[in-house]
Amino acid sequence: MNELDSIIHQPARLQIMSAICQLGDGVRVDFTFLKDSLGLTDGNLGAHLATLEAKGYIAIDKEFVARRPKTFVAATPAGRAAFAAHVAALHSILPK
Amino acid sequence: MNISPEEAAQALREIEASRSAMRRAIQTHRGHLYLWLWGCIWVVVSIINWMYEQRALPAMLWIMGFGCLATVVIGMVQGGQIRARIDPRFMKVCATLLIFGYCVWPFLLGDLRSYDFRSYKGAYGYFTVIWMQLYMVAGIWFDSFWFWVGLAVTVIIVTTLMFAPALFWGATLLLGLVLFGSGFLVRNTWH
Repeated sequence: MNELDSIIHQPARLQIMSAICQLGDGVRVDFTFLKDSLGLTDGNLGAHLATLEAKGYIAIDKEFVARRPKTFVAATPAGRAAFAAHVAALHSILPK
Repeated sequence: MNISPEEAAQALREIEASRSAMRRAIQTHRGHLYLWLWGCIWVVVSIINWMYEQRALPAMLWIMGFGCLATVVIGMVQGGQIRARIDPRFMKVCATLLIFGYCVWPFLLGDLRSYDFRSYKGAYGYFTVIWMQLYMVAGIWFDSFWFWVGLAVTVIIVTTLMFAPALFWGATLLLGLVLFGSGFLVRNTWH
């Protein structure tokens, strides 16, 4: 039986993982685009992304696009698996 | 960690809300802008070719150039928001098709200056069908929708060219409208 993941379960991180796992494999999303889509602040999103990255659930790439620095975020295979297991654990808690 | 069924249900609702927010946010990244753009271009080009045939060529090249530029701009803007890793093999297959279709065959195997395409319509059909082969390759690689669009356009172009030349420009106009309309389909039904 799947266990709840305390890292993912935090509300903002749950939002982030839900959103980026919605994208296909290998698809990366821009930091600002993600922030606007989820209605989070720069600092809030940055802090939660750092936590998820430290756990290996997401990968963060920084690169220049049209001479401007951009940060792209993508779910790792481990992150997708952990998120799927977390969702399965949530479903298992619901009354049958 | 332990949570109650109510908390689990609330978490699942939040997950669905985030997924919906992301679905709405990426709605503009489904490829429909390209279909709308090239659908409009195809309609305009078909009309001016229908009216002026070979004399429409300079205007057509300008319109196509604008379309290519707009395509690059859309790609750059959207690529700055959501970026998918494009399979390098797919890009190489597309490049091979384009190089053969636009350079090797017309310029080397058949000299474009003297090569008889049978008619202006034939040349137009040829260069159009090359692009449709790219749609078909993209369909084989990513989503069968593009394959069927490419195949349908190819069949209609070739059939009208060979068996009903009088309907050729009308068919290309209709296909422009089909491309434009399929933009709505892609935008509203793909997730």
